[in-house]
Amino acid sequence: MAGLLLSPSEKVYILHGIEDDFRSDGRSNIDYRPMELETDVVSHASGSARLRLANTDILVGVKTEIDVPKPDKPNQGKIDFFVDCSANATPEFEGRGGEQLANNISNLMQRAYHSEQAFDLKQLSIFEGKQCWKLYVDILILECGGNLCDAVSLAVKAALFNTRIPFVKAALLDGGNVDLQLSDDPYDSKLLEVGTAPLLVTLCKIGEKCVVDPSAEEESCSVISLVVGVTGNPKCYCSNEDASKLHEHISKCSTIAMNGPGSVAPQTLTNAIKQGINAAKYLDEALGKALLRERQDITNFVKHSYGFFK
Amino acid sequence: MPGPDLLSSQGLRLDGRRPNELRRIRCKLGVFTQPDGSAYLEQGNTKVLAAVYGPHQASKSKSSSEGVVVNCQYSMATFSTGERKNRPRGDRKSQEMSMHLRQALTAAIKTEMYPRSQIDIYVEVLQADGGAYCASVNASTLALIDAGIPLKAYVCSCSASMAYKDGVPEPLLDVGHVEEAAGGVTLTVASLPSTGSIALLELSHRLHSDYFETVLSRAMQGCRDIEIILDKAVREHLAEGWTKQDVITI
Amino acid sequence: MQWTTKTFLTKTKRGNVLKIVREHYLRDDLLCGSAVCNICPHKDDEIVLDNKPESICKLFDFEHYLVLDTNVVLHQIDVLEENALKNIIILQTVLEEVKHQNTAIFQRLLEIVGNKNRKFYSFVNEHHKDTYVERNPHEKQNDRNDRAIRRAASWYASHLLLSKSDFDGKIPQIILLTDDENNRKIAQKEGIVCCTVKEYVENITGFAGLVDKLSKNVIPETCSKDALYPAHLTPSQIHSGIRGGKLYQGTFHASRDNFLEGTAVVSSFDKPILLQGHSGINRAIDGDIVAIEILPKEEWRKPSDIVLEDKADDPGDTLEEEALLNTKVDSEDEITPTGKVVGIIRRKWRQYCGILLPSKFPGATRHLFTPAEKRIPRVRIETRQSDILISQRILVALDSWPRNSRYPLGHFVRSLGPIGDKDAENEVILLEHDVPHARFSEAVLACLPPDDFKIPEEEIKKRVDLRSICICSVDPPGCTDIDDALHARPLPGLSPDGLKTYEVGVHIADVTYFVRPNTALDKEAAARSTTVYLVDRRIDMVPGLLSSNLCSLRGGEERLAFSCVWVVDENANVLSTKFHKSVIKSSSAMTYEEAQIAIDDSTRNDEIASSLRTLNSLAKKLKQKRLDNGALLLASPEIRFQVDSETHDPIEVQAKKIMDTNSMVEEFMLLANVSVAERVATDYPRCALLRRHPSPQPHSFDTFLKAARQQGFELDVSTNKSFSKSLNEAVIPDRPFFNTLLRIMATRCMQQAVYFPSGSRTQEEFYHYGLACPIYTHFTSPIRRYADVIVHRLLAASIGADVSHASLLDTKAADALCDNLNYRHRQAQYAGRASVALNTHILFKNREEIESAVVLAVKRNALQVLIPKYGLEGPIYLPSDKFRYNEEEHVQICGDVILRTFDELTVRLTLDSSNLQHRKLVFQLVKPSIPGVSYIADEQVEKMEIEEIDKKENEKKRKESTGGKNKKKKSKK
Repeated sequence: MAGLLLSPSEKVYILHGIEDDFRSDGRSNIDYRPMELETDVVSHASGSARLRLANTDILVGVKTEIDVPKPDKPNQGKIDFFVDCSANATPEFEGRGGEQLANNISNLMQRAYHSEQAFDLKQLSIFEGKQCWKLYVDILILECGGNLCDAVSLAVKAALFNTRIPFVKAALLDGGNVDLQLSDDPYDSKLLEVGTAPLLVTLCKIGEKCVVDPSAEEESCSVISLVVGVTGNPKCYCSNEDASKLHEHISKCSTIAMNGPGSVAPQTLTNAIKQGINAAKYLDEALGKALLRERQDITNFVKHSYGFFK
Repeated sequence: MPGPDLLSSQGLRLDGRRPNELRRIRCKLGVFTQPDGSAYLEQGNTKVLAAVYGPHQASKSKSSSEGVVVNCQYSMATFSTGERKNRPRGDRKSQEMSMHLRQALTAAIKTEMYPRSQIDIYVEVLQADGGAYCASVNASTLALIDAGIPLKAYVCSCSASMAYKDGVPEPLLDVGHVEEAAGGVTLTVASLPSTGSIALLELSHRLHSDYFETVLSRAMQGCRDIEIILDKAVREHLAEGWTKQDVITI
Repeated sequence: MQWTTKTFLTKTKRGNVLKIVREHYLRDDLLCGSAVCNICPHKDDEIVLDNKPESICKLFDFEHYLVLDTNVVLHQIDVLEENALKNIIILQTVLEEVKHQNTAIFQRLLEIVGNKNRKFYSFVNEHHKDTYVERNPHEKQNDRNDRAIRRAASWYASHLLLSKSDFDGKIPQIILLTDDENNRKIAQKEGIVCCTVKEYVENITGFAGLVDKLSKNVIPETCSKDALYPAHLTPSQIHSGIRGGKLYQGTFHASRDNFLEGTAVVSSFDKPILLQGHSGINRAIDGDIVAIEILPKEEWRKPSDIVLEDKADDPGDTLEEEALLNTKVDSEDEITPTGKVVGIIRRKWRQYCGILLPSKFPGATRHLFTPAEKRIPRVRIETRQSDILISQRILVALDSWPRNSRYPLGHFVRSLGPIGDKDAENEVILLEHDVPHARFSEAVLACLPPDDFKIPEEEIKKRVDLRSICICSVDPPGCTDIDDALHARPLPGLSPDGLKTYEVGVHIADVTYFVRPNTALDKEAAARSTTVYLVDRRIDMVPGLLSSNLCSLRGGEERLAFSCVWVVDENANVLSTKFHKSVIKSSSAMTYEEAQIAIDDSTRNDEIASSLRTLNSLAKKLKQKRLDNGALLLASPEIRFQVDSETHDPIEVQAKKIMDTNSMVEEFMLLANVSVAERVATDYPRCALLRRHPSPQPHSFDTFLKAARQQGFELDVSTNKSFSKSLNEAVIPDRPFFNTLLRIMATRCMQQAVYFPSGSRTQEEFYHYGLACPIYTHFTSPIRRYADVIVHRLLAASIGADVSHASLLDTKAADALCDNLNYRHRQAQYAGRASVALNTHILFKNREEIESAVVLAVKRNALQVLIPKYGLEGPIYLPSDKFRYNEEEHVQICGDVILRTFDELTVRLTLDSSNLQHRKLVFQLVKPSIPGVSYIADEQVEKMEIEEIDKKENEKKRKESTGGKNKKKKSKK
């Protein structure tokens, strides 16, 4: 990726390692690198999360605004993704340098969240046909160490999990306007249901094999990669009793995209998708556990806020 | 008379500070691995990340044989402000801020040491709660130090404004967003406290010349206080760094 | 220092919901303020609370400090203001809540806290690390604040306990005063001693009368037991109602004549909304901002034209029948939109002057209070001092108006003095007109120069020395605050047109030399804004040392002045203008009369006389020019009282005499004001303080023009020039007063002139209609007007004679300043008029007069007449069975007598004292004589009195017809 200088022999080394399911940093082809996640790091935002996947650093802030629903979907709210590639990551992103990459990722996210089974926009409705919440999911890429899409999707899901929407009372006035009344209690808010929110898994085809969570070096060896968006399991995002009430969950693919100049055989594609769904399941479970543990810590006042000081 | 009561009768500001107190400042050097230098700084609820790349070869158009080209970009995360921003940068305010940053930082960097080179300083405001420019300068100073770029002195920035307590003017140090929004004047100064010189000064509104001196000296005092905090952070960081390196070599 | 954040949500103007996060610092360097404490690092002047605070309350025999909750401060501020309770801790939580809810009470509380003797300590509990409490999830803001107050109270208790070592084990305890039962319960559980205010105050010994000041407990609106009135809506119901267009917001104006009627102006209706009856008004009090529901159109009515006073006896808590109000509606256009008050948005209560109604039961504690202002309903108060107060003018504060009480509840604040006593009556006038009239505080007096102030040499050096020039002042007799002086002298050279030239100077007292910006003196003067002239009393804007001595340009004494000097030619064209600070020595301080004599006395050829003659002739030319430009010569009847030198009671009244010299001084003052206005407006385009007089609304002339037409004059009011011209032509040779009368009436059709900062208006709007000049300000009376002080400062900074300062250039401050100036100015005028009325009443106490009068206006049931001799004005009521009112022509007809505007009549003047608070002059018609209406001369008095007894039962009607028949008919002739 950005500004990476890799010699041909280094590339061969990576390639051969993957052939033998043994990557340059010691992982197997289906292993993820260690991650650090913290939510509620931007106090101005309604929800936020920072995710660090090795060198990849993503900060997500969710802002809420009141909007008018689309006429064809009067009982649904809106969600909007915006990605900004900070020049902190690399000087190439200075000015409008990161715009293309940013657009790619935000389009991917928009598509992954588009399905009703991925994210229920009805929970954002305030007054049918008149007013709804619009979520602005702002993604800031602070450092690039490969596998941006996965990291972004994880951070977004964590930030949405962390988002609180204020309770408002809406009443229809004579003129057809809606009057909103706001509670003066800042705790008077609701959490979003984000269990089904999709995660993206990038499968990077290097040589004949596919790997998950490619590092920046591995990405530069790959000619094509596949991104699979897989819906999450709501059971992983609520307490055990609540989980038992839920139906059995089947992961669904909400988007598939391919990046890069190369091509793949159909069989490889099917295998890769399967591999992606499996990886997503595993990631989703891990994310859910981490988020629930953190929420538990907050309610028990044992959580210490680290932010960028860790 | 002018402005609402920014000072209570007990002499405390809206957030509980006294007029001559800075907000809580916390900072850390070396938060990222890829840039040559980086720093994170919190000044109250204003949170800023700075990254430094360079010195590296300057692009042809910018190159100067006189000294290093300092290139700054000030950018605000879209979620950093109360109401969401539509663009992180490119608007007039950000461009002005970038220029002001360059002005203040160039004054501190020993530019003559790197002719035909360029230093990139990127500032990302994660949360803006007043005094974002000051925090940016302070974070950039740390990032420059982290990158090992020779500086003439620390460059620190601080703001000050005016309030009245029982009709007596009293300058307020390190103005937060609420105090900024109250409509009074905000004086922002970037200075090299150890030399006592001023690298940049800006006034948001009209300030009567009678008060200029007192407000400025309060802001300068703030710069000196900030220098102490930054210096301490640098020393701690270096001490930490040495022990870490030791572990690696063993 | 610890750090935390507070989070809350707000709605933006665009309807968005924002999450706001604010920093909140918790400190460990805040002091407890107690003398007992040896933990906090107090400096000597930081200790407020005594180490042995003696208990004055029987309930508690130990030393203690009091902690108050917010409602105690809000409701019982009058008790707190008494110098009884001491050693009180005011928490920041309370201070902020009070500030949020009621700024007036907040100011009063600050005043008490600022008074060192009261020993009120304000403790910043919200920023103290041990007393700050964070709001819990789902906790109400009020509950959180109560918790914060309790936390602070218990912190104090334990904090003081820690420092007991030095004080033989006896340390003050903490008592929490709160009327909230729930709060008391929790507090007791937490081990805090608490008590209700009522219990505490009732058990205080040694302060008689304190109990009277207790505010009545507020009964919540939801309580419907014995309710007489419909419940008010809650604020959120009102809010959504107004937003939804179902309710309207307006300011309630009670009717002066009918206590069961009022109106409210609502922007979306042309006519004011009519509100009638107990339930229609629903406890709104004059001035309140109310929420109104408009009734369906078929229930709309017209304003009743009857006079209805609240009955003299106390009916208890019942409401009477209101059938009286249901006036029949004759035509469509008479009805006005009618509504009812459904909620109160904001009370605008102040303290009211008035008298106590005698109670029927001796020794009763519940009494009715009748305010002097007729628009305010009677108030129920509790007092044990009624036998003393019954003969006094008293001040009462309103507390609440629960649904089950016929009258609002209030409490006694203080006594102003015996009824009828001159000082007490003056006090009423000042209080009712919100005139600040307390003695100047120590802080203000400390700003004054010493009594034997001499102008320092260096100051003289900085100024232009005019001591050698013959300057004189011309003022009304007895004037001690002389703020202007004049001079004129011929110059040797000729003007470019070959005319003789003169140097003319106007010298204004240099008040700003003494009144420096932002000092206590300056702030006090700014708050007062103007000197208020009552007939027998002057309420100075600046202390007497300045107003009557150091700033007064007395004859023969060296004084500092601000001079405006022109070179003019003999046709009074201004050739050049300059401004400078100067030092002068007035040759003579003259009265108008003396100056007139000096001018007229051809034997006098001294410097003063010739200077005056020059001034006089130039002034006439200036005036002519002004009139040619379209300036209006307006008139208002002004009267002067001759006051008994010992009793200060008025003994004679007469209209003011106007002489040439009056107008001479006036012309030069106008010229100075205009010159200065031009200068400051150029130099300060945004914050120059100017004065404008807007053109009158065309329709306001309608009645006036109709009346003039009846007299055969067509007046052209399209511009001030044409108006001035047609006024000049409207002369009836054998009625010299007619023209003056026209001018008096024309004046009443105009709008008020107002101060404004130059940045708030466009150049065209600067126009002064009455003076016909494009720009105007006030410069010439800085001793008695604060506007002039500001203009002096602006001009001084502009010519470099003085430094400017920040608040002078602040446009926001200028706006606020102008609002206050205009308000105070208006109130001062009203107070002056009220004082004239008061003195007129005293003058006519024991006499009657028969005088000629003219009709100013013809009304439905009365004539408004003016007595030119006294400048007095009043109504003659006409009985409707004798007179027919012609609405088209505005005339009253009785047989062959037709009464029109401008008609000359003869009237009899007496005083009606039947209502102690509202004594009024009674005007009775003498000529033309109409049987049964006109007053019949003396010889028939006896017969009349017999007639009167017969007609006792008809008295009410008679009262209406003649405006209160006089019982005092002792002829004094």
